[in-house]
Amino acid sequence: MKVEKTDMLPQKAEIIEIKQETKTNLNIKTFRLRFKDRSQRDNFQFKPGQFMMVTVFGVGEAPFGFASSPTEKEYFEFSVKEVGLVTEALHNLKEGDIIGVRGPYGNGFPLESTEGKNIIFIGGGIGIAPLRSLINYVLDEENRHKYKKIQLLNAFRSPEDTLYCDDYEWWENTENTEVKYTIDEPCEGWSKCVGFPHTLIVEELNYELPDTRVFTCGPPIMIKFVTEKLRELGIDPAEIITTLEMRMSCGVGKCGRCNIGHYYVCKDGPVFTLEQLGEMPDEY
Amino acid sequence: MMIKKISKERFKKLFDELKEEYNIAAPILKDKGKEKILEYDFINDFDQIVWDRQPDSSPKNIIFPQNSMLGNDYKGSKYYDDNLSTIIMGVRSCDIEAVKVFDQVFIEDDSYIDDSYKNRRDKTIIMGISCAEREDSCFCDSLGLDPIESDYAPVYIFKDEDEFFIKIKDEKYEDLFEDLPKGDQAQLKALKKQRKEEFNESSFSLDIPTPLPEKEMFEADIWEEMTEKCLGCGVCTYYCPTCYCFNFFWEGEDGESTKYKSWDSCMFSSYSVHASGHNPRDSKGKRYRNRIMHKFSYHPLNYEGLACVGCGRCIDRCPVNLDIREALKMTEEYLLEEGGDESGKD
Repeated sequence: MKVEKTDMLPQKAEIIEIKQETKTNLNIKTFRLRFKDRSQRDNFQFKPGQFMMVTVFGVGEAPFGFASSPTEKEYFEFSVKEVGLVTEALHNLKEGDIIGVRGPYGNGFPLESTEGKNIIFIGGGIGIAPLRSLINYVLDEENRHKYKKIQLLNAFRSPEDTLYCDDYEWWENTENTEVKYTIDEPCEGWSKCVGFPHTLIVEELNYELPDTRVFTCGPPIMIKFVTEKLRELGIDPAEIITTLEMRMSCGVGKCGRCNIGHYYVCKDGPVFTLEQLGEMPDEY
Repeated sequence: MMIKKISKERFKKLFDELKEEYNIAAPILKDKGKEKILEYDFINDFDQIVWDRQPDSSPKNIIFPQNSMLGNDYKGSKYYDDNLSTIIMGVRSCDIEAVKVFDQVFIEDDSYIDDSYKNRRDKTIIMGISCAEREDSCFCDSLGLDPIESDYAPVYIFKDEDEFFIKIKDEKYEDLFEDLPKGDQAQLKALKKQRKEEFNESSFSLDIPTPLPEKEMFEADIWEEMTEKCLGCGVCTYYCPTCYCFNFFWEGEDGESTKYKSWDSCMFSSYSVHASGHNPRDSKGKRYRNRIMHKFSYHPLNYEGLACVGCGRCIDRCPVNLDIREALKMTEEYLLEEGGDESGKD
């Protein structure tokens, strides 16, 4: 009896921790995972900005970008917002449950070409997840010296919607690193920034440093306003980097779902520069 | 190269010899409700084969099954044995070109090689057949293909009334046909020449730059009008020999569940819809644009050649007579009027 050889079947991974991120609105959870198989665990490598196809057995499969840094060797994390079938099924799982994963897929953020540069991160809501993988990578003590000034602007709908609170102290205390937080509307007890991120760039960020690269992820409308503002401020579109989301099935540029023109988001992306996006048809 | 010429009876004998060592797929008539459809399937009986017209569907289902269970045996039919290689008999130029498209995407693109496709393809021998006459809707020659013979099949059949020339182009397969009586090369040449002359020129001529200019045609305002009558049924993609979009499905629960791979269609409204509800292709025009652009712009940009082979099946099958030739004519006119003369990436 012959078995059809395929790597489209997922590997088993165990949920070792589930963290409820958002507060009153309980729709975002971060899942900490590790492979069941020890050798798989040891050999697993990925880049910030890449993604995995995550399977809830019997339900379906969907792509999720890494939310943790590859410098964490013992586990990897995804943050999941409950929006559809697979995410709802994921939210119903508990620690110790087994899910399927395959990957990593996608190009990932440019790590080497970012070395020696100043970095600005502008993230909104669940869009901070893929950025966090890179933030925690560049802020890791092994890597911090490779980059110049690092600035973060994290935007949330409200104080109830903040993510990754456990990282803040570390982020804020890393040398030559500045972290800003903003929410959409003023709120009692909130003493940090208020307003959409594009309105805060001039005041809160030192965007004029030479050799600055900006990484921005968030809801499409936020990306639109942030990138417009950055271009208006004279930032080179080749230095503005974002990630795209698309519905996907295979993750390897074959199933035909995620193409934007002749580019496949799963294979040619999901990380693109604003310059590249300008060359692509407006289909996202 | 080796040329053989055999009678129908001798071919039947050859078939019976071959079927001992190979799975054989060929076009046969199958009852589909009130209709009889000519499609490829694994067979045991030579007399079932219908040679004289273009099959209603391509042999896509043989090399890329409509449904398959991942990590499990590929079950073709009772005349399929997974341990044997497969000979697909009677494949026309258009469908052979479509296999080339699949090979480019699933094997030759080294960014990812689809092992299950490659395994199946490695064990497939295509025996092409020369077209004797044009069907109403086909236009392969308008796209630069030769209906008389394709170079991409290692063995080719030329049917002349009740006799068959067999041309073995790949010496790897010469052993299989060695015992057959020799055919006369000049005679075959004459037959091909006569066929070429009889093959009336297609009424459809196409003058578009390929790859179609990606951004310009994406932004063209012709797509919604073109697809006003489209029902979004996806039949064009299912019958299309080059359409290979697929999806995965799960059945069963927990770690014991089974994953299936099935054909999908970019013409379905739910095809690209995000979990959030956002759909980048939220109209028939946008979906049809993706289908046409994939075949005439995106595929040629990523690989080589077109991903339309002019078989005309989408035209035959469409319940509302949406005609890809008309769509291409509208594209040609749009580019002419808008002065777009650059091909490829703009």
